[in-house]
Amino acid sequence: MALTSTFSNLFDPARFFGPIFEKELRVSSRRKRNYITRFAYLVFLTGFLTVIWLDAVDFTVSSGTHVASRLAQAGKQIIVTLVWFQFYATQLVAIVMLSTAISDEIYHRTLGVLMSTPITGFQIVMGKLSSKLLQLILLLGVSLPLLAVVRIFGGVPWDYIISSLCMTLTALIFVGSLSLFFSSFSRKTYVVIILTLVTLVFLFGLPFMLMSRMPLRMLSRYTTPLALYHANPYLMLDISTRIMLNPSLFGRISFSWPIHCGIMLTASAFILIGCVLLVRRIAIAQASGHLDALARLRHLKTMKSADKTVATPTNTRIRRVKGPPVVWKELISRISSREKLIVAVIIGLEAAMIVAMYLFPVVANTFGWEETHIIYIWIFMGLGMFSVTVFSSTCITSEKESRSWPLLLTTTLNDWQILFGKFVGVLRRSMFVWLLLFFYVCVFWAFQYVGPLALIHMILIIAGTIIFLSGTGFYFSSRLKHTNEAVITNIALAVSIWGLLPFLLVLLAQADRSMRDLREYYLNVVPFVQATAVMVATDFSNSIWSSYDWPDHNRGPLESTYLILTVMLGYMFIGMLFAWCAKRRFRRDIF
Amino acid sequence: MIETKNLTKNYGNLTAVDNLNLTIKDGDIFGFIGPNGAGKTTTMRILVTLLEPFGGSAFINGLNVAKEGKKVRRLVGYMPDFMGVYDDLKVFEYLEFFAAAFGIERKKRKSIVEGVLELTDLESKKSATVDSLSRGMQQRLGLARVLIHDPKVLILDEPASGLDPRARIEIRELLRELKRMGKTIMISSHILSELEEICDHVGIIEHGRLVFSGTLEEIRPRLGIESKVRVMVADHQEKAIELLSALPQVRQVQSLGGEIAVTFHEGKNAAGIVARTLVNAGLDIISIQPERLKLDDAFLQLTKGVVH
Repeated sequence: MALTSTFSNLFDPARFFGPIFEKELRVSSRRKRNYITRFAYLVFLTGFLTVIWLDAVDFTVSSGTHVASRLAQAGKQIIVTLVWFQFYATQLVAIVMLSTAISDEIYHRTLGVLMSTPITGFQIVMGKLSSKLLQLILLLGVSLPLLAVVRIFGGVPWDYIISSLCMTLTALIFVGSLSLFFSSFSRKTYVVIILTLVTLVFLFGLPFMLMSRMPLRMLSRYTTPLALYHANPYLMLDISTRIMLNPSLFGRISFSWPIHCGIMLTASAFILIGCVLLVRRIAIAQASGHLDALARLRHLKTMKSADKTVATPTNTRIRRVKGPPVVWKELISRISSREKLIVAVIIGLEAAMIVAMYLFPVVANTFGWEETHIIYIWIFMGLGMFSVTVFSSTCITSEKESRSWPLLLTTTLNDWQILFGKFVGVLRRSMFVWLLLFFYVCVFWAFQYVGPLALIHMILIIAGTIIFLSGTGFYFSSRLKHTNEAVITNIALAVSIWGLLPFLLVLLAQADRSMRDLREYYLNVVPFVQATAVMVATDFSNSIWSSYDWPDHNRGPLESTYLILTVMLGYMFIGMLFAWCAKRRFRRDIF
Repeated sequence: MIETKNLTKNYGNLTAVDNLNLTIKDGDIFGFIGPNGAGKTTTMRILVTLLEPFGGSAFINGLNVAKEGKKVRRLVGYMPDFMGVYDDLKVFEYLEFFAAAFGIERKKRKSIVEGVLELTDLESKKSATVDSLSRGMQQRLGLARVLIHDPKVLILDEPASGLDPRARIEIRELLRELKRMGKTIMISSHILSELEEICDHVGIIEHGRLVFSGTLEEIRPRLGIESKVRVMVADHQEKAIELLSALPQVRQVQSLGGEIAVTFHEGKNAAGIVARTLVNAGLDIISIQPERLKLDDAFLQLTKGVVH
């Protein structure tokens, strides 16, 4: 008995991670959103698997050999889908769950209190991370029996299942650590989520998107990608999947998933060490009354400028209000002269990343490929849509959180003026990404890779998308209390209608032919599909008046313009309807 | 100036404001007090058009707050119980932003902002970012913002909460100055001793209902509290007791060592009656002290301390 007790004490996580671990689990068991997240995860998982099962298995065939072969094929398909679904979904959930890990403590001013107890920074960081990871591992565990059952159909080696689970787990730890790290910098959850996602896109997403489009033999030709994919979980899982699906590739490219997992764990350890060091510094800063890193910077700047003001009173520039006040506030630069250097460094890094992004197609000589342009257009569109989605859904909730919303509503500004100002703000903040897209299309038009109609069509597609996403964002922002909820809801809406629904329709149409018309009509209105049709049709290798390959049938340029215009007007109408609903809710649930 | 008629506000099953009838005269400082959850903030939010009443009506300067919101907002300056700040704005920019939001012409804004900065003694902080200000400074900035469009009515929800004694005194002085400027002020606070010093009238609210409205002196008869005066005479204390006991308004006279405690049936000008009686009898008065009813005592007696 005593031995059992000693043994259980030794392996008690609370002993290692401190009371934070236990507290986090207790709090999370009381949070409705965690149950909803898990439920949504399981619903999607079941939905995907059902659709794939229906697609893969033809029940009308009676031949035993054929059925066995189809089952093996279905087994492979199900396992690959499951592995990739888990890979993406758990990372997304980890980002969301850990985005509030430290910022919540900062926001509620409890970090300083925690640090005044014997709890160490290490225990806080590890307690937070491990408690969330435990919940995510439980989600992964849900699929284990399914993986084991499906494996009975044959065709999938154990090695693939184990390696993919390990890669998913290490990627999860890395992504979670990153989100935790960024949550030390800002109390705004959406900022943490954006920072984490942008970092992941630049670190892993772009190389993955570009390299996963290439034949495997091309990858082995370059030594740089060889080093790259060992540090890139997306590429590793992609290669591992491709080899599993096509065993003849085995041995033609050397890769080792244990090395990859080691790299990911080492990288996570470095991030967590940084996080532990930061936590103490933040607690000290908080004790001196500053909530987040940005506030600390501002405070330092103010203190210094206040010192200088005594000597040179005209030193500090005050920006005068011009035009409509809400528009002015949304448009003013938030960058002070002292922060300009930091911003210049960030812009320099971004520019370097963009150059690096273009470098690969140059080296691989793939600029002539339609696919290259489609990928870049998708990246820029995705980033632009993401920024509109986030900025529109934060603009009212952030005012509610900073408690300035009632002050604005007690002025004589009318609701339309406020709404218009907010819309201009969203446009201004997302303008940088849209300009990148515009610049891209213009440059490749000048170099004769893209046709002139692409520019007009892309503007139409983007205009509809911006107004739609802004409208829904405003609505969720006025409807919900917290920025976090509004951002996630708006992102979920965009992902559902332009990602999940088309994907499900594609799968359903494969299983049920009567769904094909619906699928094709629906795909016509998805902005990414529209952009793809435009980029393919306006490729200079085709004639300027070549027909557009739409999912339902081919259309000429005029007919395509009509379609794009109609869809744009549709999106604009829905977006404005949402904006109107948002305006009606401005003065409800203010507090 | 401010009037509510059977004002009612419900949150689901909870009645936050229940048939509230309130009148505040022009140029008054009206102290609005009540336990937490009594309905003070809800009433104030209705008056500044942030909430819609469920029933009844509220008027500011004759304008119905539910129907003429924009006109009412022009008349009213509202300072909530928390300070909403835009982190990235400087003090001057913050005030100018609100000046613009209230539709003040651009060429007038600078002088107006400088005026309120001077009034609130924030001139030295005009280039500081709003979130770098101390709590006291932020409250002053809140007052400056409230004054930016020169409203006739100020509705201030706990303006002194969380402030140190010096900052509280400064806010109090500022409110007196605003009263001199002719503003009508409705102020809620939990620091009753402060309200006592600056308010002309008080309203005590509990369970959303007004349990008292009037001056502090009017509370005494309402509560049935007797008025007391303590007086000290140079000599002939027994004669003084005899004279005072003979007065028809006096209920009881007690000798407390060197002092005489006189208890009246009602409190009107009790100290004057005592003084006149003794002086007319040729007695020398060393001191005379009417015993004041404290707002805290009145509050405790009028409210039951039960919240929703």
